[in-house]
Amino acid sequence: MQSIISSQKLTKEFQSYKKEPGFLGTLKSFVSRESIRKKAVDEFSFNIEEGEIIGLLGPNGAGKTTLMKMFTGIIVPSSGELSIMGHRPSDRDKQFRKNIALVMGQKSQLWWDIPAMDSFLLLQRFYEVSDADFEERIEEMSTLLGVKELLNVHVRKLSLGERMKMELMASLLHNPKVIFLDEPTIGLDLVAQENIRQFILDFHRKNNTTIIITSHYMADVNALCERLVLIFDGKKAFDGPISEFEKILGSEKNVSFTFDSSQDTAAEIWNDRDADWNENKTVVELRIPEESLREVSLEILKYLPVTEFNTEKMPIERVMKTLMENPEILRNCEGSGENMLCR
Amino acid sequence: MKQSPLRHYWQVYKKMASTSASVEMSFRISFCLLVLMDLFFFLSILASVSFIYDHVQTIGPWNRDQLLFFSAFMLTIDNIHMGLVSTNFWMLSFAIRTGELDFTLIKPTHSLFTVFFRQIRPSSFVTLPVAWGILIHYGIKVQLSALDWCLIPLFLILGLTLLCLIEFIVSTSMFWLTEGTGINFLRMQMQQLSRWPNFVYSSLSRKVLTTALPVLLIGSAPVHFIYDKNYWPLIVAMLVAIAACYSVLLFVWNIGLKNYDSASS
Amino acid sequence: MSLNLLKWWQTIKVSWVKYTAYRLNFFLQIVGPVLVFFFIKYNLWSAIYGENPEQMIQGYNLKSMVTYHIWSMIVTMIGQGHASYNMSEDIRMGRISSYLIYPFNFWEFHTASFLSFQFLQLFISGVTIAILVAFNFVELPSTYFLFHGVLYTLFISLFWFTLQYMAGLLSFWLEETWILRVLMGIVTGFLSGYLFPLDLYPDWLVSLLQYTPFPYLTYYPIKIFMGQPSPLWIGYAMIGLWIIIGATINHLIWKKGIKLYTAAGM
Repeated sequence: MQSIISSQKLTKEFQSYKKEPGFLGTLKSFVSRESIRKKAVDEFSFNIEEGEIIGLLGPNGAGKTTLMKMFTGIIVPSSGELSIMGHRPSDRDKQFRKNIALVMGQKSQLWWDIPAMDSFLLLQRFYEVSDADFEERIEEMSTLLGVKELLNVHVRKLSLGERMKMELMASLLHNPKVIFLDEPTIGLDLVAQENIRQFILDFHRKNNTTIIITSHYMADVNALCERLVLIFDGKKAFDGPISEFEKILGSEKNVSFTFDSSQDTAAEIWNDRDADWNENKTVVELRIPEESLREVSLEILKYLPVTEFNTEKMPIERVMKTLMENPEILRNCEGSGENMLCR
Repeated sequence: MKQSPLRHYWQVYKKMASTSASVEMSFRISFCLLVLMDLFFFLSILASVSFIYDHVQTIGPWNRDQLLFFSAFMLTIDNIHMGLVSTNFWMLSFAIRTGELDFTLIKPTHSLFTVFFRQIRPSSFVTLPVAWGILIHYGIKVQLSALDWCLIPLFLILGLTLLCLIEFIVSTSMFWLTEGTGINFLRMQMQQLSRWPNFVYSSLSRKVLTTALPVLLIGSAPVHFIYDKNYWPLIVAMLVAIAACYSVLLFVWNIGLKNYDSASS
Repeated sequence: MSLNLLKWWQTIKVSWVKYTAYRLNFFLQIVGPVLVFFFIKYNLWSAIYGENPEQMIQGYNLKSMVTYHIWSMIVTMIGQGHASYNMSEDIRMGRISSYLIYPFNFWEFHTASFLSFQFLQLFISGVTIAILVAFNFVELPSTYFLFHGVLYTLFISLFWFTLQYMAGLLSFWLEETWILRVLMGIVTGFLSGYLFPLDLYPDWLVSLLQYTPFPYLTYYPIKIFMGQPSPLWIGYAMIGLWIIIGATINHLIWKKGIKLYTAAGM
């Protein structure tokens, strides 16, 4: 079966100009401008099957948004192949556009000065949604998201979280087959983030929608995605299940202990565990191989005055941070896999 | 819900119009100021023409009433233009700068339609009777025939169509600019040029403004024809210009879309 | 004190860079309209005089009519080119908060930006006039009248700045202030002699206008450049009075607006 989304060596190049500061710089750039070509996305290939939820990760400026905009047909690739549901997005077929949705956490498609409901009614016309479907979906989504009372409030009066929920509803009214979520939870409080994640999962379960999501919050990725795609400098750096991603830096677990008094940091038990102490020597973070986790922890709990004991909740957060600070880790193991540079 | 494309577009247009109207009407002071602005604009144009004729008998071949009828014709086109499309040009430069255009482009309607017909300006409907009143007043003064009266609505539509097409083409250049507001000023200058009859311009500029940038055909062609049916080639030229502009528009618009980089990618 | 001047100087420089960053935009928005309008008026009057450029229409032959419009173009460039659009944006987008924190006032920032704009406009009008003189379209007046004309026009630009500033401040209450600006432009364009010499207007209107600031905005300075000044102190007194009135009103509006802003958080 053909994948619902497949891209082959997808590339997008942007051109920009240099300008030095000040009046002289203005004059200089008036006479001759030095152009800079930058590959925002560089030979990006991957396949997505129907019903998958993919997390697209990478630092700011890595090319995630550019990629999303190529997927939605907003910008045209410089080279490479892209096929979504059998369409080439840049052709912008009506049928293609009717079956996709784009949500951008940083931008709004709702009209600022009127209630969200008015925008929804306009979207209903755009996407030719029947009245019955429309009412049913509004009812269902607004109940799930808890914004039923806010449908008739001016959008500018809504909080960021409430507005984002409305944005989600606006994008999903036409029951799209593929959804692109570009940082949907950015700037939201924890409860709103959680609501939105739950809603997306629900929507996915009911409709078996294919979803691509970018986010800087690892909690989003952890909750929603099974598969992760990492993009660095426009290039794909990792593509695989989350469980594999967590093990990029090795299979040790991070564990932290808090004690009620200062401890002897030179004791034998801390050796070879990358012990990282706080100033008062009351908190330590250790890296323990998976197979000896039980044994070591038990020993510490038994002999030392432990008041708190934590294992790492989201290993991907640590992996992501380490990779962003040391991108050479990925480059070093380049060529070790086919598409997946680091396994 | 299956429906014919025409019906689909009509449904969308109705909703876009009513939504934007309700937004605009909620800004009451702005709304009143817009009406006032339109009225002053009409007054200043007509008064200037009239003052000039206090001191001369004719300008080119036309006397006072003939030129005033021409001005009224252009004002009416301007009035409809203001009401139906003008806001959208400003929205476009804004939408490109902020990247809001992204949402417009993924809608399942033709992007030209969604971009240029999204917002109406209801205040122009308040001044519409004034514009038509002026047009009819001077129409009676220049003693139009029954046929001419029938032709006027058609010519208004043709003139408006040509004006819009030229402006759409010019606005396409915004895709290449980070700051496209200036293009709107360029557009308004083209309107200014079209607001005077073609014989005012020297032969070279008249040729350029009739062929390469056919803004002089918008009003001068129909009004000349109304006064003197021997001017029918101007109407043919107008129709050719509309057809040509339409194909140029489709061509450059597609290139523009390809070139659209989308803000803050 | 000198530190404060430094702030002004740096603001002027930054504004200069902003204005010149989008050259095409600046040209189309500020310079283009004036040039196109001159082009239209030149053609229009050539057509009106037709075969007989020496005939006198209210004391103007074709040459002096064209001269009038050339100077009207220059007066417009120097006198009323500036529009504080970014000021409205500052207020509407809530960026005003940063001015409340900066040790540099809102009005200082925008006035510095206005000065920067004026340097640019003086430069552009200088180039325009040099070209027109070089191609013999217009004769340069005596140094006295040229100097005096520029000085008076700069004085007028202060008046326009006060008005534009007022329109900008109204953003506290109004969604779209461009309507006000366009409205002002239409009314003054018509009443100040920008469209064509006031000598062509009906007598009753001209004598009525004497009691308004309008003729002193365009008609008077053009007459200075053309070497035919009327008693000047009236212009300075009239415009000066309006600047003071305008500045006082602006001060009051600002105080009211900022109260509204800080109280409601807008």
